[in-house]
Amino acid sequence: MTARPVSARSFSRLGKAGILVLAGLFFVLPFAAMTRFALQNVQVIDLGWSTLFDKWSLDVFTNAFGNDFFLDSLVMSTKIAIGTVLLTLLLLVPTAVWVHLKLPRARAFVEFLTVLPYVIPAIGLVAGIIVVKPHVRWFISSDLSLIPFYVVLALPFTYRAIDTGLQSIDLKTLTEAARNLGAGWFRTLFTVIAPNLRSAIIASTFLTIAVVLGEFTIADVLLKRTFPAFMAEYRQSDPRGGYALAVLALGLTTLLFIVLAQLTRPRRRIDSIGTNTPRKT
Amino acid sequence: MTGISFEQVAKSFGTTRALVDFDLDVEAGEFISLLGPSGCGKTTALRVAAGFESLDRGRVIVGGSDISPIPAHRRNMGMVFQSYSLFPNLDVRANIEFGLRTRRQSTTERRARVDEMLELVQLTDQAGRFAHQLSGGQQQRVALARALAIRPDVLLLDEPLSALDAQVRSSLRDEIRRIQAELGITTIFVTHDQEEALSISDRVGVMSNGRLEQIDTPESVYRRPATPFVARFVGRINEFPSLRLDARTVECAGRRLPVASSEGSGSRDVLILIRPEDLRIDDHGFDGSIVRSTFMGPVRTVEIRLDRLDRIVEVVEPCSADVRHPGERVRVSWPSSELLVEDV
Repeated sequence: MTARPVSARSFSRLGKAGILVLAGLFFVLPFAAMTRFALQNVQVIDLGWSTLFDKWSLDVFTNAFGNDFFLDSLVMSTKIAIGTVLLTLLLLVPTAVWVHLKLPRARAFVEFLTVLPYVIPAIGLVAGIIVVKPHVRWFISSDLSLIPFYVVLALPFTYRAIDTGLQSIDLKTLTEAARNLGAGWFRTLFTVIAPNLRSAIIASTFLTIAVVLGEFTIADVLLKRTFPAFMAEYRQSDPRGGYALAVLALGLTTLLFIVLAQLTRPRRRIDSIGTNTPRKT
Repeated sequence: MTGISFEQVAKSFGTTRALVDFDLDVEAGEFISLLGPSGCGKTTALRVAAGFESLDRGRVIVGGSDISPIPAHRRNMGMVFQSYSLFPNLDVRANIEFGLRTRRQSTTERRARVDEMLELVQLTDQAGRFAHQLSGGQQQRVALARALAIRPDVLLLDEPLSALDAQVRSSLRDEIRRIQAELGITTIFVTHDQEEALSISDRVGVMSNGRLEQIDTPESVYRRPATPFVARFVGRINEFPSLRLDARTVECAGRRLPVASSEGSGSRDVLILIRPEDLRIDDHGFDGSIVRSTFMGPVRTVEIRLDRLDRIVEVVEPCSADVRHPGERVRVSWPSSELLVEDV
């Protein structure tokens, strides 16, 4: 193999760096603009380079935090997030394990099913809710009724995380080894499979939380004052405060993903069949 | 101690018949190897015994009871897998302890048994390590200890050495045999490596197309193969096309030769199957010329093209014999110790 000329390599490196910078700007610029609008007490028309350091204040947060519904909405969203994470894991992990072990041919179909929430917009689900609402009013009236909808909405992300985790371990051998040693399915799932899916479960959890913290349409239709619904509502009375909360939510989600990246960073080499690569002796 | 029997076991995967009327009796305390090419059904037999595959027909008997309807986790079988199967989230001690926990043994009993097993596989100093901190050989020794810790009725070994390098493989093979003899546990060992099967087993079962072709002592399987398939699969073989003259005589390349056995359907065209070590290079026999001589350590294999048969045969000579050079003219004979006469 011949080495590429230095100039070509430099160009390639520069190209990669350029793409990264552009992508970073695409994310950071709107975030920065939103932060300025939210936290600078300056008329929008006056926002410019000359006022870059003027009148920064956290008062908007103080006001928002002081709102009667702020804490309630945050608590509700937290409850819903916990419920969604638990239901997702309880449903998804055994299902994905079963599909991998017993129905490997059905994997493509299951994958297709899990991406449907991408294809069918949330408003489609809302239309469905309106149809069934009169029949399940008892359920819809509960604050936690959003949980099943959020489980479905998060499926494209959560299933992929769990599926990738399962592909990275030798599921069949580990399962058979556990069963051979006397473990039933329950014990096998909780003491052997789940601990070895740690990264996938963490990823799935954070992705679910991100979905819960970002969903507005269904919560609004079902008249639930979740944190995103509160933000939208608050924005109408205090636009700067509403955007400040959006900055906060976005910042928290970003933080979650950084934590996720740290927690799921591989700490040892895993080979292609997912078992531990033996140490050479 | 308990034996295990397979009675008329049949198992298919779609249109592929993995086991066909499979019968096998393993005596209590016996070490049996199942040997055969890929897809012959040897691993399926093991998985049927472990309960990982259901039966289409037949029974598996352990200690006088039919265990076929019992699910895998309720059978008392110890299994060591081909791929490293240690639980990555548990250390060596916890891995060995796993089966004892599922059996709800007390902490004291568990600790004592794990210590005993660690000593048995000589890994006491590795108890706190995780799988990724062990070599392949050590991982398989832990897997063996884990399988034995539960005091299984039968130990099932599914090609446990195939992922290891030659040296580790050889030492672990000896260790498995030592431990098996020490504990007297009934063992079925699946392998496609004939040297492994012949060197470790009380009896060797050779399988082909889901059936047992022959089961006998390693020496009998090698020296007295029941079928041409066994003769060809176990060890190397030379084939001499011949004409059957009578039950004790064949004609090969114009020479009348005595044979020890010539049973068959009565076809005149036959193949004489002879091991390379049964052929001799001497002053009489078939003329030929050396094609290649390969040094193999203790022996040397010599390939010779026979003039009248126009085929290459292989002869094994001790490495102390004279070195043969390509093109050298020699004669090859056999001392009436053919393995088999096969009808063509």
